[in-house]
Amino acid sequence: MSFFTGIDMGSTTIKIALIDDHEHCVAHSVCPSGSHFHNNTREAYHTLLDRHRIRPDQVTAMVTTGYGRKLFKEADASISEITANAAGARRAGGEDHHIRTIINIGGQDLKVILLDDQGQVKDFAMNDKCAAGTGRFLEMTARNLEMEVDQLGDCHRRSQKVPLTINSTCTVFAESEIISLLAHGHGKEEVVAGIHYSIARRVARIAKRLGVQDTVLFDGGPALNPGLIEALETELMREVVVPKQPQITTALGAAVLARESFYDRREIANG
Amino acid sequence: MENERFARMQKTTRLHLGMEATETLQRLTDFPDQPKAMDYFYDFFRRTFADGLTLPPRPAEQKVIGTMCLQVPDELIVAAGAKPLRLCSGAYAFDQVGAEMLPAKSCPLVRATTGMLHANHPDWGRELAAVVIPTTCDQKKKCGEMIATMPYPVYNLEMPSTKDSEASRLYWQESVKQFTLDLQGITGRKITARSLQAAITQGSAASALFRRLDDLRKSGGPVIFGKDIFLVTSGYFIDDPERWGNAVHHLITELEERKQAGLTVGNRAAPRLLLTGSPPIFPNLKVPILVEQSGGVIVADEVCSSNRLLSDGVAYDQVTLNDMVPAVADRALKPCTCPCLTPNHDRSRRLVELIRDRGIEGVVYQAFSGCLPYEMEQRQINTTLSGIGVPMLYLETDYSPEDQGQLATRIEAFIESIIARRRKK
Amino acid sequence: MNRFRDFINTIRISRLRFWTQIVAFLLLVYGGYLAVNIGNELPTFACVFTDQRGGSCYLMGFQHQMSLPWNRLFSGRGIGVVMGFLTFVGIFMLLNKAWCGFLCPLGTIQDWLTAARRKTGLMYATYGEGVFQRLSTIKYILLALLILLPMAIGNSFFGLPKLNHDFGVPFCMICPGRTLLPIFQGDLSQLAIDFSSTTKMVLTTLGLLVTGLFLAGAFYKKRFFCLFCPMSALHTIFHRAGLLRLTKNGTKCTRCGNCYRVCDVGIRAIADDLDHHNIVKDDCMMCFKCVEMCPEEGCLKITFLGLPIYQSTEKGFFTRMGRRTHGK
Repeated sequence: MSFFTGIDMGSTTIKIALIDDHEHCVAHSVCPSGSHFHNNTREAYHTLLDRHRIRPDQVTAMVTTGYGRKLFKEADASISEITANAAGARRAGGEDHHIRTIINIGGQDLKVILLDDQGQVKDFAMNDKCAAGTGRFLEMTARNLEMEVDQLGDCHRRSQKVPLTINSTCTVFAESEIISLLAHGHGKEEVVAGIHYSIARRVARIAKRLGVQDTVLFDGGPALNPGLIEALETELMREVVVPKQPQITTALGAAVLARESFYDRREIANG
Repeated sequence: MENERFARMQKTTRLHLGMEATETLQRLTDFPDQPKAMDYFYDFFRRTFADGLTLPPRPAEQKVIGTMCLQVPDELIVAAGAKPLRLCSGAYAFDQVGAEMLPAKSCPLVRATTGMLHANHPDWGRELAAVVIPTTCDQKKKCGEMIATMPYPVYNLEMPSTKDSEASRLYWQESVKQFTLDLQGITGRKITARSLQAAITQGSAASALFRRLDDLRKSGGPVIFGKDIFLVTSGYFIDDPERWGNAVHHLITELEERKQAGLTVGNRAAPRLLLTGSPPIFPNLKVPILVEQSGGVIVADEVCSSNRLLSDGVAYDQVTLNDMVPAVADRALKPCTCPCLTPNHDRSRRLVELIRDRGIEGVVYQAFSGCLPYEMEQRQINTTLSGIGVPMLYLETDYSPEDQGQLATRIEAFIESIIARRRKK
Repeated sequence: MNRFRDFINTIRISRLRFWTQIVAFLLLVYGGYLAVNIGNELPTFACVFTDQRGGSCYLMGFQHQMSLPWNRLFSGRGIGVVMGFLTFVGIFMLLNKAWCGFLCPLGTIQDWLTAARRKTGLMYATYGEGVFQRLSTIKYILLALLILLPMAIGNSFFGLPKLNHDFGVPFCMICPGRTLLPIFQGDLSQLAIDFSSTTKMVLTTLGLLVTGLFLAGAFYKKRFFCLFCPMSALHTIFHRAGLLRLTKNGTKCTRCGNCYRVCDVGIRAIADDLDHHNIVKDDCMMCFKCVEMCPEEGCLKITFLGLPIYQSTEKGFFTRMGRRTHGK
């Protein structure tokens, strides 16, 4: 049995996905990036292999992606997260969905990718220098509101009133806006909903400039947040598909590309 | 007090400039299989940018005339016995100086050029006999007013904002005629039919050389990287034309030998890309370097610091000033594809022809944030390109080095998508 | 083969033209001394009033034929008229408008006058676009007159009396070819005003005036007379089908306007027309200066029967411009 590994070394978390020869995901894991990218990745990788009783020599090819992709020297190749995300989305979307637009919110970036009908990258846009409106922003606001990131979704759902307006997606300015809203006696629920809407608006702005095509897939860690999904659907004015494990699509894509390039190479070698 | 602060600013700026140039040269030379003849250009910039920005040696009595855009006919300046110096700067160090005088949303090239003139004023104030600014884009126009207060003798060369009508052509010819007269006053030398003819020949020789160099990129495995071409043409801004010409000649000879021997730089099958948009000028070669580090090769360009600057030759019918001056004017306006001209269909046509002629697989469109004409033309160029099925990567960037990580990811993904397209075919 | 083609494309066609014009001038004006006669249906001004010419201008015979009464024109005689016309068209199509640029003696004289002006350092005159458009219709009016006036000799129009025979060759009477070309054989008789009848007096006086205008005009304005030339108007009907052609590949054109700059007859379309392949326009005389001055590889081409014989090249352009400065 041979396996293929994709490792997505993101700014906040490291995601690993293992697939078998039939492109079925057999194992995956998510762990924080920490300060020692290389060590943490290796540790997480071997833990995952041990847990699923896979020997390292059974792994035929490994491709890294994500912004730390060049830091893991054990890998056979590295590929940009845009190409990997596109490849992953083609699988994660499943048979029923023909994905043409990917919205990915990561720890510190935000991407909109358009795919052609073959599933290849047609065009894409990213946020520029600033990490406003990304996963990191959600973390910071959760901390300000004294809750965990995974509680934000439920909090949003409990809100009964119109979401509040948060004008800035910049962490620093949004923080002072939140404090002043709370000071004016607004509920946390509406504040949280407001934050989700402000992120969704920012995403929608980028997406619309690029031209949204159905079906839209929403992935990355923040796609675990149902409040954000709701806000995004409202702002994009269409349904979005969220894969079961939205965090690992890019890692999955890298694994798929590892397998493809392995067979491509073998084809070339065999003439 | 004021003087001391200025001196400190100048010192810091020089330091920054030196660091920036060193870093860029380091990255430029960090490629395998570089042609030997490129060393002249690396050395030239190392020397020139080591301490502020030093002008190349020239006869003591020769006046220097600064120019802002390629629409200023250099031939006339040369004919008047002066040295034309293209001022457009690509230095982030100068951009930071200029940022204190100009709005935050202004174009980095204009900021850097203004900043450079400010920071170099103690020396250049005496050296520059004039700063000639054609009325091209709004920012170039308005920065002239600021430069005049530094003070520098600013000359506004009136240019139409359209080139299609015969009236605009005649207006421009009149304006260049006036410039010819005024120039003689500035340099104190008479422009004669013979001196202008010699100057035109000098300009044509540079164009002919550039075209020969550029033709080597037309087909086959790449023999030179695009980043090096931009360095060569940035050299033309400042360098002595004869030395520059000799160095380019050597480069061509070496590249022709390499081509014969089947040697290439980088991957023979690297995706063939075209760079268009705001001009890459040393040391701001960020985007070309990133593109070629990511495995692509720039085999054609459509920018005013390279192809547009050196492609055209003057055609005159008789050796008299009243025929040659309008001829020089025509060269500067008629083939121009600067987005300050409206309409600018010639730019799309030129791109399509380059793509067809050179087997271009993707276009990288660089727009300096704040450069509205390029930012606005992006959409129509994109439409034209998707019409012929060529993908385009639009990069909005400036002179700061901070966005390189982001740019690298986008550029890599773009190149990966071109390779994926090839597989499909 | 490629090197040969390269060499061809770097030559200065203007030089070639300069010498061809001299040879053609000698042949057409003095050919008779060598018993040369290349035909009576020439699409160029080989003037019939020059005794020892080497061929004859078609317009003279054409005007004569037009003065035949209808009944004779549409009888057996008509076949000869049609055959003459077809010969004229055939000879013309072979070289197309290059008859004007390379062979026409009147064109050559104008080019010599231009060269003389150039020596003095004087600037050439140009027309504004609007003036150009209006003036260029004059040749069609002249063409109409040189057909209609003779017709009114042989036939009565609308019951009006027939014109007298002094109107037989009206255009020849005012053509500067009649006055100037015989001079080259030492014959000054055509410079006299003919007082034998009022009509002749008026026409010959007009002829002298036109000659004066021709000389002065061509000195200041390149190919001044060509703009009004009825022969050129007659060419217009057939030049699109000429075997020798000037073609343009619009996709390669940068609209730099070099071609338009050097065009002696000021055809703007050569620079701005991006759609037409066959770029020979009404006033074009096929001097091919535009091809010489185009720096874009294969943008402008001279073709014969579709085969390219000469084309614009980057190398050709820069070589020619370089040679020029070095006084060659």
